[in-house]
Amino acid sequence: MKRRTLLTLTLGACVGLGGLAQAQNLANAQDKAQLKATIDNCSVCHGIDGRSVSPTFPNLAAQQPVYIENQLKAFKDHTRGDPNAQAFMWGMASGLSDQMITQVAEYFASQPPPSPEKGDPKLIAEGHHIFTHGIPAEGVPACASCHGPDAAGRGMFPRLAGQHQEYLLKQLLVIQTALRNAPVMHGVIKDLSRQQMDAVTTYLASL
Amino acid sequence: MLQKPRLRKFLPHLVLLGACAGVAAPSWAVPSFARQTGMACAACHTVFPELTPFGREFKLNGYVLDNMKQITGITTNAQSTLSLNEIPPISFMLQVSYTHTGSPLPDSALTGAYAKNGDVLFPQQASFFYAGKIADNLGAFVQLTYDGVGGSFGLDNTDVRYARHVELPSFGNKDLVIGVTLNNNPTVQDPWNTTQAWGFPYAGSATAPGPAASTKLDSGGIGQSAGGLGVYAWWNHSLYAEVTLYAAAIQGGAHPLDSTQAAVIHGVSPYWRLAYEARWGRNSLEVGTYGIDAHMHPGSGNALAGPTDEYLDVAGDAQYEYIGGDNIFTVTSTYIHERQTLAASVLDGFAANDHNTLKTFKLMGEYYYQRMIGASIGYFNTTGTSDAVLYAAAPVGGSAVNSPDSNGEVFEVNYLPWLNTKLQLQYVHYNKFNGGTTNYDIGPGPYDPAVYAPGTVGRSASDNDTLYLLAWLNF
Repeated sequence: MKRRTLLTLTLGACVGLGGLAQAQNLANAQDKAQLKATIDNCSVCHGIDGRSVSPTFPNLAAQQPVYIENQLKAFKDHTRGDPNAQAFMWGMASGLSDQMITQVAEYFASQPPPSPEKGDPKLIAEGHHIFTHGIPAEGVPACASCHGPDAAGRGMFPRLAGQHQEYLLKQLLVIQTALRNAPVMHGVIKDLSRQQMDAVTTYLASL
Repeated sequence: MLQKPRLRKFLPHLVLLGACAGVAAPSWAVPSFARQTGMACAACHTVFPELTPFGREFKLNGYVLDNMKQITGITTNAQSTLSLNEIPPISFMLQVSYTHTGSPLPDSALTGAYAKNGDVLFPQQASFFYAGKIADNLGAFVQLTYDGVGGSFGLDNTDVRYARHVELPSFGNKDLVIGVTLNNNPTVQDPWNTTQAWGFPYAGSATAPGPAASTKLDSGGIGQSAGGLGVYAWWNHSLYAEVTLYAAAIQGGAHPLDSTQAAVIHGVSPYWRLAYEARWGRNSLEVGTYGIDAHMHPGSGNALAGPTDEYLDVAGDAQYEYIGGDNIFTVTSTYIHERQTLAASVLDGFAANDHNTLKTFKLMGEYYYQRMIGASIGYFNTTGTSDAVLYAAAPVGGSAVNSPDSNGEVFEVNYLPWLNTKLQLQYVHYNKFNGGTTNYDIGPGPYDPAVYAPGTVGRSASDNDTLYLLAWLNF
């Protein structure tokens, strides 16, 4: 009797554990499928490897994961509201869970960096100087102090190297006009001229 | 010598045919999709109904991308059995228009009188849409339209599609979408804006006379009168291939279809499409081919049996888009070659020649500034074999020289105060209409006054030039 009870309990435990394992497997498979579907959606504009074709959409490859997470959350809660953010990303980010945001960020951050864009050598040289030394006379600090000497980004500060020049320029413009809410960057670039923006973005795209 | 019409009894029909041929195929974009995706119109459209590359992806993936709260169901194996938008993706469309032609049209009932020139249609069309996801991988674009000219409701452009991604490791894991489409208009399923259902002009007068001849794939009367089931593949965001089979599915009238219906597809007609799109920077360029091999019964009092007419349309198309932050340029073009083998029509007295050809060329260039104000210029040219019966002389809709040749230009200025509201000024100019520039319909006369009232015939191509104003709202 005792043995039978033990056997029943053991079998019961096995079935229970098996069921749990099966449920876990199912949940994992669902998560995996959901992540893939989400990345497929992102990749329509940003490329499956995070390298986009159109400069309307930023490259996400090798981007700082914390930065991607922060932006997706800012789209989701509408604190980032520049025109393209509203048109595209408010909708796209609205259904993403915090867990999915983290996974998507990790996926794109782990992709190889985008290829450099060619640019006017004179602009690149001027941009390089602004990036590494800032414009002390105008109170503009060196971009490299936050974004890193190679512009690969650091934590919440985004990677800028290899980003589309047109995208970077657009961001500087919408931050300068405060359409994109980024108080620190707004303070840094509020007096930057269009020529200086062209130079620094051409340099960054060339990296 | 007095001219008398050979087909006097068909005159009212020819006039009507001419008028209807001028109706641009209805084609719209819908806020339902914006409601479902949470994305603004600009994500999928340059300016509606023209699609961006993202819009093409959305369509080819089955209209299912959604960011709405879902009502869901699953099996014990976690298979989805239900995934329904909590709020249905519905929307409405209203078109109010004004048409003024170069010269007024003859009164439809009183000999010698003219109809009012300056026709307001309120509405020209009013539509109700369900457009969006039905279930995982399954979506639909369904349009119910009240037609202000006909005064009736009907099922307008409809495309239900199932699509899913397929993994192909042996092909470098390039993205492959395989889909199935169930639709009622050849080309309504197409993601580019070069073909009839979604091509330029995107809207046009419903009452101005239009050329008598049109290829089957260019407003040739199959749309909304056919049911098609097709499969397609979209590989690596660049290569598109599709085959769809169409059968007759005429709305209204006698069912099962019989001799009282007109232009009834015999059996199934295959439609094919092959296209390649290249994207670089803000540019995209598409080149492709499409066509249909349609066997049809003329009907109209003749049994749906015996010989059929065959319309073999083979077409090429191209589209270029530049989508800048402020500036958008689009160029679209298509050329359709149609070979007609009219065994049934000759037998039934609707055509004189056993074989005819019809060729249509269209070219359009468009510019928009900030998706707000834009201008377009289009050129169209149809040429073909003369046929004494098919293109018989008749007031307004006929051809004195029995020719299908027409060509002209379309000029448009559009203003969009909001992305879902278009105010359009369009002018259509005809260089040649049904084979002629002056007295194209029944020739120079003199006419039998017992048949034609003085002044109501002898029309010039430019008499059909059309000024068209449109308020087009989607909400």
